[in-house]
Amino acid sequence: MRILLAEDDAMLGDGLRAGLRQLGFQVDWVRDGGAAEREIASGDYAAAVLDLGLPVKDGIDVLQSLRQRKIDTPVLVLTARDAVPDRIRGLDLGADDYVIKPVDLHELGARLRSLVRRSHGQLQDVLRCGAVSLDPSARQVTRHGEVVPLSTREFDLLYVLMLSAGRVMSREQLEQKLYSWGYEVDSNAIEVHIHHLRRKLQPELIQTVRGIGYTVARPQDSA
Amino acid sequence: MKSVRRLKSLQTRLLVPLLVLLTAVWLGTVLLTWLDVRHELDELLDGHLAQAAALLVMQQSGETDHDGVEDAPSLHKYAPKVIFQVFHEGRLVLRSANAGTSPISSHGPGFSTERLGDGQLWRVFSTLGGEDDVLVLVGEHSESRDAILLAVLQGVLVPLAFALPLLALVGWWSVRQGLLPLRQLSQLLGQRRPQALEPLQIDNLPTEMKPMVQSLNALFDRIAQMVDSERRFTADAAHELRTPIAGIRAQAQVAMGAMDDVAQREHALQATLAGCDRATRLVEQLLTLARLEAAAAPTAATFDLSATARRVAADLGSTALERHQTLELVANAPCAVAGDEMLIGVMVRNLIDNAIRYSPDGARILLSITNESGQTVLRVQDSGAGMSEPEMARLGERFFRVLGSQQPGSGLGWSIVRRIADVFGVHVQVSRSKTLGGLSVAVRWPVDARP
Repeated sequence: MRILLAEDDAMLGDGLRAGLRQLGFQVDWVRDGGAAEREIASGDYAAAVLDLGLPVKDGIDVLQSLRQRKIDTPVLVLTARDAVPDRIRGLDLGADDYVIKPVDLHELGARLRSLVRRSHGQLQDVLRCGAVSLDPSARQVTRHGEVVPLSTREFDLLYVLMLSAGRVMSREQLEQKLYSWGYEVDSNAIEVHIHHLRRKLQPELIQTVRGIGYTVARPQDSA
Repeated sequence: MKSVRRLKSLQTRLLVPLLVLLTAVWLGTVLLTWLDVRHELDELLDGHLAQAAALLVMQQSGETDHDGVEDAPSLHKYAPKVIFQVFHEGRLVLRSANAGTSPISSHGPGFSTERLGDGQLWRVFSTLGGEDDVLVLVGEHSESRDAILLAVLQGVLVPLAFALPLLALVGWWSVRQGLLPLRQLSQLLGQRRPQALEPLQIDNLPTEMKPMVQSLNALFDRIAQMVDSERRFTADAAHELRTPIAGIRAQAQVAMGAMDDVAQREHALQATLAGCDRATRLVEQLLTLARLEAAAAPTAATFDLSATARRVAADLGSTALERHQTLELVANAPCAVAGDEMLIGVMVRNLIDNAIRYSPDGARILLSITNESGQTVLRVQDSGAGMSEPEMARLGERFFRVLGSQQPGSGLGWSIVRRIADVFGVHVQVSRSKTLGGLSVAVRWPVDARP
């Protein structure tokens, strides 16, 4: 799950990035409002954590211009501005959540997962497809109730596919949603991970749409 | 002491002089009336005495052959208030019933005042008649003159005695009415909530009160601004404190979650400590600033600026060394300046600290104390990147930080510098350093630095 972190404070940014990575998020960190707007607009991120007091462009302005451009990436505003009018303004301008510093990392992770889930039209935290269930908070996948050990990448790939169940994702889209900056991605990495997932879970879970990409069926279709 | 007490009440200050003046005028009137009436009365009655004497002289001159004393009949109940004697060749020939045998006056011709046998004062006119062989003495009871005088004065005194208290009452009432707006104002102010700082209405006020209320409104305005700036400061301070605390929390959680990743845990713990240091520094600066805001007039003495600069530079020398920076102090002679040594030390520390913090590794920092046309100038220059004009203009705004700066500054250092400068009346000037190319901050003591 790729998250964009926009925070100008070096120590806090460093801590949030490391903490969210521990929770299984892929985190890219930018330090100013201009970069934040550019990166969120790329559409590669499942959600963004946005500080308001950013250099170059204030977080509120970033939020406003993103929403004006119809970019609906979930945005969690993380700020020290705790005045009620500030909160109201932030939420009205399109923030999906408004959190006052300091924040517990686990809570921040949970809020991000919730934002991602809702933005994909999912009501429950645990995603299901046939006999396979995926629990994002525990980072656990079960088949017929039995835990299936998956690598981080395999889990993330399945998570992305199951979140967008019913939609076909191209290899490039998957790569962009999976890999944060600084990772060298092998050209066949996605295919290898898909292969492993099919082997470990069910061969028919992930379907290949030839020439386009991969998809996981919607739960009601398969159930 | 007495005058101070009298100053306390406007009503007293207005009423007392008014009543004193009224009484003085009244007493003056009485005195003048009394003098005037007595003079006129004396003229009139003395005239009568002289006239009566003249009649007696004429009568006596016609009746020179007369033996024995003739007692004149007493014709009126007021007759005893008048006395006369007629002597012919030293012999008493005629007298009023109440007159004795000895002359009632031994003075020569003319008027005199005598105390007679009855122990009372008499106004006596004596004159010689005929061929100076007739002596006529006519006297009048002095008391009767006083009685007339008193009767006249009563006509003046009685109305005035009634008028004075009435005047005092009316004066008291009108002064009270005149001071009514003042009392209303005080009532209005007394009922105000401390937060209510909107200006008072001045349209319906008496002219005399307008300047006062205008000054009050100006004061309200200043207080409102102060309260507003305090409120903003609190909000900013909360903001500035939350970020390092959020950082500390995040890093601590990272350390806890690092499991067996020793390098990550080490890094997170180091960052936690650095965050604590930063929060401590921020809190210290906030406290310094709060103390400065509260310090109305810090004690002013003179101290050796060179020694202070040397001490502060020595304190910060190790920090500069860590960053391979050269910190140089040029201060030759002892240099006495006015101000509080501790606070000026804080100011110098902030300036040097900023230079170290915002200059790159290996930079040169020059601290100099010079005398420029009688002014003591402390200058901190560095070979860093310097600042743009707009950035220089914004220095000293609380929590202002230069964009893109990676240094964990609080943005409070400059507020402290500016505030201390204000307290001691020293002038702080920021410019581009001509010798080193970076920022140059000049602190200038005025020639007669008397804070």
